[in-house]
Amino acid sequence: MSQNTLRLLLDVDSRFQRDRDQSPAFLHRRDRRFALDCEQQGVSPTPERWLDHMRRLSGPGNEAQTGRKVQQQWQRINSGFAIAGALFGVLTMAGLLFYDGGQRINITVFLAFVVLQLLLALATTAQALMGWQPWRWLAKRLSLHAPESTLAPLQPTLMARAGHTGGVAFALSGLLTLFVLLVIQDLAFGWSTTLDTAAASYHRLVHAIATPWSLLWPAAVPSLELVEATRFFRAAPTSQGVAPEQWGNWWPFVVMLWVTWVMLPRLLLLAFSHWFTAHKARLQLHGHPGMQALLYRMETPTLDTGNQHNDADDLPDVRTQATTGDLCDTPHMICWAGAGEPELPRQLTRRDSQIRKAGGRASLAEDDHVLTTLAKDLAREHSPAVILVTRSWEPPTGELHDFLEQAREHWPAETRVMIVPLANDANQRPKNLLIQPWLRFTERLPEGFASVALLPPPPDSPYQVAGASTL
Amino acid sequence: MTQTPVFAVVGHPNKGKSSVVATLSQNDAIAIALEPGTTRASQRYPLTVDGRQLYTLTDTPGFQRPRRVLQWLEAHSLSASDHPDTVRAFVLQHKGDERYVDECELLSPIIEGAGIIYVVDGSVPYSAEHEAEMTILRWTGRPSLALINSIGDDDYSDVWQAALGQFFQVVRKFDAVRAPFEQHLSLLRTFGQLESDWEQPLEEATQLLAEQRRQRQRLAASIIARALEDLMGYQEKRTLTLDQVASTSEATLADTLRDRWYKRQRRREQSLRIDIEHLYQHQRITRQEAELEWANQHDLFSEDTRQHWAVSKKYLATAGFGAGAMGGAGVDALTFGSSLGTGALVGGLIGAAGSYFYGDRLVLPALNIGPLQNGLQSATFGPVQDSQFGYVILGRAVDHWWHISHRNHAGRDLLALEPADQHWLELLDKTSRREIQRALDRCRKQRPLSQSQRQNLAQAIGQAMAAYDNWRLNRG
Repeated sequence: MSQNTLRLLLDVDSRFQRDRDQSPAFLHRRDRRFALDCEQQGVSPTPERWLDHMRRLSGPGNEAQTGRKVQQQWQRINSGFAIAGALFGVLTMAGLLFYDGGQRINITVFLAFVVLQLLLALATTAQALMGWQPWRWLAKRLSLHAPESTLAPLQPTLMARAGHTGGVAFALSGLLTLFVLLVIQDLAFGWSTTLDTAAASYHRLVHAIATPWSLLWPAAVPSLELVEATRFFRAAPTSQGVAPEQWGNWWPFVVMLWVTWVMLPRLLLLAFSHWFTAHKARLQLHGHPGMQALLYRMETPTLDTGNQHNDADDLPDVRTQATTGDLCDTPHMICWAGAGEPELPRQLTRRDSQIRKAGGRASLAEDDHVLTTLAKDLAREHSPAVILVTRSWEPPTGELHDFLEQAREHWPAETRVMIVPLANDANQRPKNLLIQPWLRFTERLPEGFASVALLPPPPDSPYQVAGASTL
Repeated sequence: MTQTPVFAVVGHPNKGKSSVVATLSQNDAIAIALEPGTTRASQRYPLTVDGRQLYTLTDTPGFQRPRRVLQWLEAHSLSASDHPDTVRAFVLQHKGDERYVDECELLSPIIEGAGIIYVVDGSVPYSAEHEAEMTILRWTGRPSLALINSIGDDDYSDVWQAALGQFFQVVRKFDAVRAPFEQHLSLLRTFGQLESDWEQPLEEATQLLAEQRRQRQRLAASIIARALEDLMGYQEKRTLTLDQVASTSEATLADTLRDRWYKRQRRREQSLRIDIEHLYQHQRITRQEAELEWANQHDLFSEDTRQHWAVSKKYLATAGFGAGAMGGAGVDALTFGSSLGTGALVGGLIGAAGSYFYGDRLVLPALNIGPLQNGLQSATFGPVQDSQFGYVILGRAVDHWWHISHRNHAGRDLLALEPADQHWLELLDKTSRREIQRALDRCRKQRPLSQSQRQNLAQAIGQAMAAYDNWRLNRG
């Protein structure tokens, strides 16, 4: 289970790393789609399913999974620790039970070693719980630091797991070695200490240690007699009055001592480290910023604001060859669609001006009337011309185009129309930007019929007409 | 099932119809030009949630011959009750007629049930000349709203508002280029009020748009954090053969590496800009080359830039104290508190002193030539050892983010990013300052950030963005 969660974490993290450069909008669409598909199928969109979905879509050949690699790496490390532990177990037990027939195997030494083992096992778990990494140098040497940020918090627990695997192998091989030595050798156990300890006290200690199995295997609990009988002193290597078989009566205690206080704790702590790794990996997975973002993307609807259409490059051709011309002298003037209101600029007002209104609020019949009356007036002139005043900010429309088309039909053929776009302040020159559409408008009319003219500057204005010709 | 609401954006030519649609649909690829006839056919911009349409905006061409249309309508109508049918008949009869192609395009969605959004330009004087258009729209009998957009600098919106009130149910002012996001939402809610069936989808849409904006801000903070981490910890490395070592002077090597380092850093910064722009659906800003020009004028590492974007000594001292204290607190934890917090205090003081005395020097990353190994020699340049570099990057990134997040999609002008005249990071809370400083310290030491540190940095940058927004708001 721990393996699966860890693999899931690493694979998901690897996928998130690959997604880093994808656009947020794409990721949202992709993951929301997955969540909606899951909803349709009646299943919950778990990270496992999401990952499977991603793999399935990538197709075969997508086997370079980080999780598997790291898992295999740690399997190798665990195997290494197990082999080393087994070898050490054999050597240690052989060393502890080394008996040349001269001296007894000291139970006190054995007890001390078991305590040391127990402390080591507890320390391994403690470092995992507290996040210490006394083996960091080894991890660095084995290049176990990638991917750094995700695996780093799990390194202590993974190392503890490897340590406990080695510890279990050590305890097992030690136990097997013990059995072998018990069978092939006549081992003589005794106890000895420099301290002034009575046999009764030693018995109490041994009894307390044997409590866990005292009911299960009473024979493996040394009696006071055995304790009293098997004390030996270095200074007196041969003990008088002790039956030789009594030296061997300690073996059930030694076996159970090893099983209960070395092997069992290691097994329990190994199981705990497996659970703890899975637990930590699960926490890591749920707390992963990428996972939070993924859940958000799966839960939140995708919003498309209508930005697919693109016609930014499909702009009208705004080039024009037309330029502004001079305003000629004519009394005929048409104010189109309210232009010149409330009053016309001084440059356009003459005593004999005939001002007519068309477009805008005027009816089409009124427009026709203007065209007809002007046709009569223009017919009497040598070089007929009409000034058409417009608002520069109201671009030319189809209605004006129609009006001028009709005018061309009704008016004498040589009639010239000068379109004068006025600025909001009629005495100011309109912005070039606003004149451009009018120039292009005249180009769409029959050649020579209409042109754009600008007002001459009023006598007291700094505005110079010379600039107009550059348009 | 009720039909999803459709809003036809109509009006006289060149009054900003496409700008309104571009802003509301967050589409900066809609053709906008001060040329009548830029929009030649109606175009639909649906807002969809998981593929389900909530509403559709339809951009339309402007009226070209409203008086002729009105004349036709009046000639074919007997009473007010047949007005909508008469408009429908007009469209049916004139489909394919070149003279009325624009009118048919703009009236078609309306006779199919769209609401009317009539756009006028509030920066030019009110004109009663458009009354024919408004009358035609009234004849359709559809719910309508008038929008006073502002293309120029002058303001005649009050006169427009009073006049439009006679023709439209609701009249609202909305500057398509400058309106803040809250106004977009408010306008959409108003659209929803035009008809009772439209209220719910528009309310849902505004809620989702608001959430999308909040999420974008969070994502922007993460993107900036990642770029900051990347830029701060970057090292340019080159491996030289013996021949190359012999033929290249140290100064030349330093110049080459420095140039490559600078180029890469600028490229990375540009990619950050593009990421942020794309996040906010601005796809075309880069083509305007405003940023490039800006980057050339204000060199990333110039003294001028540093004066604008670097933080003060006092800021560095407080941030350094926080970061140092965190390190010292680790000592306290190791001693199970037996140092009674002395670790945190000492660490804080060391951090503060270091930041105060060395923090404001824009130390350029030094060249480092490694030992000769197997006939090869490596030379490295960077990472920059001055945390001010990080603050410069952060300041510029947050400023760019702010402009992008406040830029409407109707905007077509150059994005001019001007340096700040005062460092707004001073407004940042202490926790965020500390997180940023710690992250910068780790990066310059080339120590990778853990997931939680990365998350904390992104959150701190999110706070910095909020502080900047606040600073901009109060700056007026």
